[in-house]
Amino acid sequence: MMKKVLFLIIFAICLLTISLVEGPFTTKVNAAATPSASDDQIKDQLIENIASRVAELKLVEKRGIVGIVSEVSNIHITITDVQNNTRFIDVDELTKFSSPSAKGSFGISDITKGTTIGALGLYNKESRRLLARFVNVIAPPKYIYATVDSIDSKNLTLNTTTNDKKNLIIDIQTSTKISLYTKDSGITRSGFTKIKVNDEIVVIGFALAGKENMVAASRIIILNETIPPAPIQSGSTESAEKKMP
Amino acid sequence: MGKEKALLSFIAVFIGLLVAGIAFYFYENTKTITPSVEKTISSIPPTPTPKPSLFLTIGKPIDEEVVQKRIVTISGKTTSDATIIILAENSESIISPTTTGDFSTTINIENGQNVIEITAIAPNGEKTKVLKTVTFSTEEF
Repeated sequence: MMKKVLFLIIFAICLLTISLVEGPFTTKVNAAATPSASDDQIKDQLIENIASRVAELKLVEKRGIVGIVSEVSNIHITITDVQNNTRFIDVDELTKFSSPSAKGSFGISDITKGTTIGALGLYNKESRRLLARFVNVIAPPKYIYATVDSIDSKNLTLNTTTNDKKNLIIDIQTSTKISLYTKDSGITRSGFTKIKVNDEIVVIGFALAGKENMVAASRIIILNETIPPAPIQSGSTESAEKKMP
Repeated sequence: MGKEKALLSFIAVFIGLLVAGIAFYFYENTKTITPSVEKTISSIPPTPTPKPSLFLTIGKPIDEEVVQKRIVTISGKTTSDATIIILAENSESIISPTTTGDFSTTINIENGQNVIEITAIAPNGEKTKVLKTVTFSTEEF
């Protein structure tokens, strides 16, 4: 009789233990409905579609690049961009070409080596090529940091030495805006007479056709007292920031 | 009678395993590792790379980005005592970073491609620059 009672107690403990251990798992299994074969197919299809769409979206993006044409054919343009990288541009029948100096129609055949262009289109990260939708001939401004060597008040020009030790003549025009920067007052309006020899200046200007050592200034900022002249660093940050995914 | 014996044997094995398991559990929890067994792992601190005197990193804008607004935010990080000069075709901005070196400002851009030059100038005249191309376009393609 005692044996039977002992047996029953042990049996009950075992049952209790098993139910405690197995319980949560059993509930989970029951809670999740067993997927049928068709459900699996739909799920796989959905995953595949989403994955391919995400990959497509990540692979192609809108980009705009600027550079000097180094090679041109009927369907490709090769440029050297502002970061000195060689970039490849594909053109097709949808690509629109324009130039501010063009009279009449303008196409890829009008683009020549050495021209600065801006291209806007779809950039493929895998092939690293831009399928251009718009190609424009542009004249980006020149940003020059220089020290004033002498001032020609008669001709309204400044003889300067740039940070990369080149002599450059800055042509002041009637439209040229001259400003003065100080830490206290920020940028304030100034004039030609305020420019002095040895002043450090920033010139925003445009190249003059046929005059390599001359720049037509659209804006000049005198960096008075703030910045002593020094050579510009050889683009270490630029190279560190280059991104070609 | 035979069945009862088999069942009781099974229960006895089960209880035996249970007791052994409990004993093992308690043994593992109360086990102490003597210091001689413990291994001391010494980590050598990495040699810090020398910090450049002047640096400039640009968070915004992303190079070659196409935007649909003419006002572009320029933000980044540099040395705290540097002066930041931002130049675009028709606008410029000269700012000083915060004590942590962070800076942020806005600049107006023109239609089409804009080459923006961001230059950090240290008090000793040292300069470093970054060029960013930003395109303003509302064209859909």
